[in-house]
Amino acid sequence: MRLHYVELVLFSTYAELRAESARSYLGLIWWVLEPAMNMAVYYLVFSLILRSAQADYVPFLLVGLTLWQWFKSCVSHGGYSIWQQLPLIRQVKLPSLVFPSVQILADTVKFVFILALLIAILYCAGYPPNVQYVALLPVLLVELLFAAGAAYCLAALVPLLPDLRFVIEQVLQVMLFVSGIVFSLDAVPEPMRRWFAWNPIAVLVDAGRGILLHARWPDWLALGRVALISLALYAFGAWLVARLHPRYVKLPA
Amino acid sequence: MNGPLVALENVGVAFNAQLRVGAARFWALEDVSLELRAGDRLGVIGRNGAGKSTLLRTIAGIVVPDRGRIRRAPVTCQLLSLALGFMPHLSGRDNAVLSGLLLGLRRREIVARLPAILEFSELGDFFEQPISSYSTGMLMRLGFSVAMQVEPDVLLIDEILAVGDAEFAQKSGAALRERIHGGTTVVFVSHRDEQIREVCNRALWIEHGRNVMQGDVEQVLQAYHADPHALGAPPAAA
Repeated sequence: MRLHYVELVLFSTYAELRAESARSYLGLIWWVLEPAMNMAVYYLVFSLILRSAQADYVPFLLVGLTLWQWFKSCVSHGGYSIWQQLPLIRQVKLPSLVFPSVQILADTVKFVFILALLIAILYCAGYPPNVQYVALLPVLLVELLFAAGAAYCLAALVPLLPDLRFVIEQVLQVMLFVSGIVFSLDAVPEPMRRWFAWNPIAVLVDAGRGILLHARWPDWLALGRVALISLALYAFGAWLVARLHPRYVKLPA
Repeated sequence: MNGPLVALENVGVAFNAQLRVGAARFWALEDVSLELRAGDRLGVIGRNGAGKSTLLRTIAGIVVPDRGRIRRAPVTCQLLSLALGFMPHLSGRDNAVLSGLLLGLRRREIVARLPAILEFSELGDFFEQPISSYSTGMLMRLGFSVAMQVEPDVLLIDEILAVGDAEFAQKSGAALRERIHGGTTVVFVSHRDEQIREVCNRALWIEHGRNVMQGDVEQVLQAYHADPHALGAPPAAA
């Protein structure tokens, strides 16, 4: 029975990616082109216009945005998924967890392409691969867990409280800034920085930059703490979706 | 195994009327009881808004009752759903697999049945084309051919007995009737007396989400039409 849902999630992910690439002329190219354009905007603003004095700002920004955009798309696509699939949920008996999982998986497949491109760019820019790359695996797994947990929580609540949609974008915007994606958190005053250390995305992005740009092993203690937070969020999100599932079919159409 | 496959005891289902804080709920089903035994072909009649479709979705397990009890033997109950989960930019083949998975089939089961789906739907080369290029009739043919691959223990049908143009309507109707009379347990919702007579060996009349009468098809239909409130009922179409 469980295997059936795995098959459903895998095939739906394939269908989702396939349909998405069929919806535009350039198809698959947009997977990479869209984030690249987004990065170019930040580069334009922070590097060329505001003239960020930070050394190696461009690779710093690229790594940050790559990891951030993966998280953001998982949360926003996954967060809306149950709400968007309500007509289907009224028609057939399925665990609602399927829908955010498909979105998260689809965004993760796209992320793998972007990550490969990022690594190639870094190589050309003089940041060759190093043995610390193996630490990317746990860092990315924790990020996936955290993104899935956040997406599940939102996915569970949005059908009952569609108004959340207006808030999600703003919260993500704030998170972008407090996670040190476009500027370094070193600029944050010391007393405040202690709180920032609890932000999973800030820790994960910092670890990612350490590995990719400075051949530095992650701070395992901080990573372990974030892993626990992510695991708790994931478990809570999955529980919440299952708990609220019976209410979705009773919502007004 | 002589117990009922599905038993509803004083089941009530409430829906949210509006998406608003403190909005009232309305009871689509107030108090319905029924027992479904293997081989039963139960026809459900009642006026618009009586709760017929909600009853089907409750039996299917999609809707969980807010009061009362539902007991289910380890059987599969499935609503006959056409074109479930179809995505416009995917080919007929991909949509058949997707829909089959949503309907509860395993991947290898649905893949093994693709030739049968292709044949029954008469789509030919269109099977590999995106369904956004299909006519409504073709879409119905594909949807029906996929839906027929699922063989639940209890088949729940909401008004659909045939789909498509005249020719395919006959073919699909015949296939569905063969399934119904081949020993499958069926719950069938319809407005049309002659369909209920043809399909069912028992009838249940519900009104405002409550049982009114249950039993022999002819007796229930007679009582239904003799009811003074039946004035608004749609005439038995030919």
